Amino acid sequence: MNFKWIGAIMVIVGCGGFGFSLAAAHRREEATLQQLIFALDYMECELQYRLTPLPDLCRAAAGEQRGCVRDVLLCLSRELDAQISPDAERCMQAALSSVEDIPKHTRGALADMGKTLGRFDLSGQLKGLEQVRASCRAELESLRSNREPQLRSYQTLGLCAGAALTILLV
Amino acid sequence: MKCAWKDLLSILPAWMRLPVDKVGRESCQEVRLRLGIPPEIVMYGKHVWLDRQVTRDDLNQCINSASRYSPWNSTTAGQGYLTASGGHRIGICGEGIIKNGILTGFREVRSLCIRVARDYPGIAGELSGKMQSVLIIGAPGWGKTTLLRDLIRGLSNLDQHIAVVDERGELFPSGPAFSPGKCSDVLCGCSKREGIEVLLRTMGPDWIAVDEITAGEDCEALLKAAYCGVKLAATAHAGSLDDFKKRPVYRPLVESGLFHHVMVLRQDKSWTLERMGK
Repeated sequence: MNFKWIGAIMVIVGCGGFGFSLAAAHRREEATLQQLIFALDYMECELQYRLTPLPDLCRAAAGEQRGCVRDVLLCLSRELDAQISPDAERCMQAALSSVEDIPKHTRGALADMGKTLGRFDLSGQLKGLEQVRASCRAELESLRSNREPQLRSYQTLGLCAGAALTILLV
Repeated sequence: MKCAWKDLLSILPAWMRLPVDKVGRESCQEVRLRLGIPPEIVMYGKHVWLDRQVTRDDLNQCINSASRYSPWNSTTAGQGYLTASGGHRIGICGEGIIKNGILTGFREVRSLCIRVARDYPGIAGELSGKMQSVLIIGAPGWGKTTLLRDLIRGLSNLDQHIAVVDERGELFPSGPAFSPGKCSDVLCGCSKREGIEVLLRTMGPDWIAVDEITAGEDCEALLKAAYCGVKLAATAHAGSLDDFKKRPVYRPLVESGLFHHVMVLRQDKSWTLERMGK
């Protein structure tokens, strides 16, 4: 009898935990996208005012951030300084592959950013960054719309699924 | 001899660094890369060809490394060259983009000529603080910039305030490789005409130095500075003093008697001091 209860609790906690982790991932995605938008704002201002070279620009932008966005920008600046890749896009790919645990949408936005880096003159570069920022904003907007009900439903569904599974198994 | 050798190696594709390093900083004069052809290393009186073909990625990497992956920072690429860290100049050739009759960039780069920048302290010889304006002439690759660099350093160490317009960043590139002396002020990345005006207004120089006067507006700016009581040190392309005098663009400099003396370089990089005359 005791084993049944322990098993039931473990199933409910497991499924509930999965729901909670989905909610946490959602929050994390939001936070990292927000950080990336801040980094892009910073890069745009710095470029317009000082025409900072890309490796220094990434290092400076990383200094203003934290978490995985910071790690990627630091890695990217190191890749650019190493001068091994023929273009900045490949440097960004190398940086993204060396930093784990980047939320999906943020990874996509960073990869898009890599495609625009170091390819155009100043106005082209600024337009490229602006485009990435616009797509980040749209993504952030969609994550934020119905945020609370969505997070609650992840958590509730997790718990309910655990409960339903327990009933079926017991 | 001083040379920012590591900077040179770092702009080359990774597979080329070791063979070029083996040639060594003493003998390597140029590295020439042409699309689909093995790289050519030019040494004094000798050529070496590596055994692998240059790809488009190799050319892109050189250009991106030299500009630090920042095209907005390398506006001179539109004029057909880039100056890499360490003062090494990269000449660019390929399919140009022409706007309003002016070369503004390259659609496709097909060859690069990387010239190794060197510094030979002491080649300008004994200098005097009472020295008058001086012009250095010589053909490409004969060492005009190297001689001017040492001249600037020498004058600077004689407590002469010497302001330098280093338009291409070749005279005194950032970094510790080439020292400009204790009384030099270097203005980088600015056109000669604009730079001379800024330095006259702001730095109170005894001397103004510029590298490679090529246009009429450079000559006008030099004359203007000379009439303000500043002495000048400059370089110009010419095989000999006669060639220099024949070029119409330099006529105002000859006729004004601005430069009393000319340091005339020879191919073996030695030089002689000659009177300008008219």
